[in-house]
Amino acid sequence: MPDRLMAPIDRRRILQASAFGGLTAFATPGLAQTLANLGLPAGPSLREMTTAFPQKGAMILQRTRPPLLETPMAVFDQGVFTPNDRFFVRWHWAEIPTSIDVDAFRLKVHGAVERPLSLSLADLLRGLPRVELAAINQCSGNSRGFFQPSVPGGAWGHGAMGNAKWMGVRLRDVLDKAGVKPGAVQVRFSGMDAPVVPTGPDFKKSLSIDHARDGEVILAFAMNGEALPLLNGFPLRLIVPGWFSTYWVKMLNDIEVLDRPDDNFWMAKAYKLPDNRWANVAPTAKDYATMPISTMVPRAWITNLVEGGTVSAGQPIYIRGIAMGGTRGVAKVDISPDLGRHWYPTRLEPEEGRYGFRRWAITAKLPHAGKVPLTVRCTNHGGETQPMTQNWNPGGYRRAGAETITVVAA
Amino acid sequence: MMKAPALPALISVAFVVMAIVLIAIGPPGSRPPRERVATHSPPPAPSSVSGPGLTLMSVSVDLPEDAAAYPDGPHVDTINANCTACHSPSMALYQPPLSAETWHKEVEKMRDTYKAVIDEKDVPAIVAYLAAMSTRTAAGASAAAPKPTE
Repeated sequence: MPDRLMAPIDRRRILQASAFGGLTAFATPGLAQTLANLGLPAGPSLREMTTAFPQKGAMILQRTRPPLLETPMAVFDQGVFTPNDRFFVRWHWAEIPTSIDVDAFRLKVHGAVERPLSLSLADLLRGLPRVELAAINQCSGNSRGFFQPSVPGGAWGHGAMGNAKWMGVRLRDVLDKAGVKPGAVQVRFSGMDAPVVPTGPDFKKSLSIDHARDGEVILAFAMNGEALPLLNGFPLRLIVPGWFSTYWVKMLNDIEVLDRPDDNFWMAKAYKLPDNRWANVAPTAKDYATMPISTMVPRAWITNLVEGGTVSAGQPIYIRGIAMGGTRGVAKVDISPDLGRHWYPTRLEPEEGRYGFRRWAITAKLPHAGKVPLTVRCTNHGGETQPMTQNWNPGGYRRAGAETITVVAA
Repeated sequence: MMKAPALPALISVAFVVMAIVLIAIGPPGSRPPRERVATHSPPPAPSSVSGPGLTLMSVSVDLPEDAAAYPDGPHVDTINANCTACHSPSMALYQPPLSAETWHKEVEKMRDTYKAVIDEKDVPAIVAYLAAMSTRTAAGASAAAPKPTE
């Protein structure tokens, strides 16, 4: 941080008006840890760290079977792209194939199409135009553990998300090869995982036919230049830029073009949000309109400071983090040292894809000793800004409000 | 008419066959190393599919087993018998404190929606176990406010 100690004059003026200060509480990503503390308001907050999963590095163990593995926040401080071996993992059912033969693998395309297809990986790797796109994959329930009042569901911290460069072929090109019949309304996706109880609902998700053909939805066979880890969906995963992870079907081997709206459990009943702008209802609310979860909203996090960390007062410090714009690029990220009374703009580093993370940074000073809440909020190019108050819904989905961590200046 | 071969003829044929086998194998210590390699050779290289700039190799992995059981408490046997087939105990143990009513809905969701094979008569015991666990979690959370490290 030496080159950032020389804060410009106007920045210094900002610092006096605000309460920023010296920093010693950098996250320590290299430190071996056996326990992670997610800092969830209602607890329990401690989780084991694990390296027991194939093709994965140190992850926060939420659940062994079926695997739920969370990315430690420190990983997001290392860069805007999340390494494959640190990318979060989430499966609904425990029947997950552990062997994939790339010669035998086939992707079926069927339903309301002129020519049903059975595509090999060679067909996909060699027979169609190649595309690559950076996009964030975020679980609908990311940050659920911070919901207050508490809600049931996977008790994630903020690490059920990741950003990668996804390489593959356009879904549109595959659908065109099959020839979508007039009257098609949706396209349904299913992977190779299966319910433990055979009568349980197989995991399937659907997109509208127009969305499926928009040219941005990808069938990805590589992330960050390499094959996907098996637990992230090897050999093929659906990429739906700007949309929550629930649509990003892993181990994708079945595409069905539907001539009627999908009424399967995972579309009709699960992953439903209150049908309003911030997916927000009072905890006592009943009988409100719902909609299937879809697009993501702007969010931002501080990545080089941790909750409760000690910083030294009176010296310039460097604060940085990541932001996401949802369906639009990140336009600005502001930081507040006083719960939103004053906001200060941060510097944005270059955008590496509008659907990806963007790093922000600021050099600042906390003149006074004491606890300082640091809040960051993102505004996207659509003019959408994170609210100061958190939304609430019973599923613990699509948390949207600006995040605050409290550091101690001393 | 076929005639059964005489015993001396059979013995000599067997001797010749054994001799050929022994010659083929060679004396101990003089066996070509490739035979040992063959005995201990790794499985064949995984099959692969290549396109421009990318090769996908067949993958075979082992996922960790979860031997964990629910911690002791009233009705622990019932929850261990019913609630470990589909998911690890940690799924329930890491939940925030939830009311007995919410736990009841969760257990019913497992039965009705996800088709978990749970006998209706076991439901009250499972809910009681989980509600008691939530009471302990709530007590622990208020006793020690979390100090995150991640």
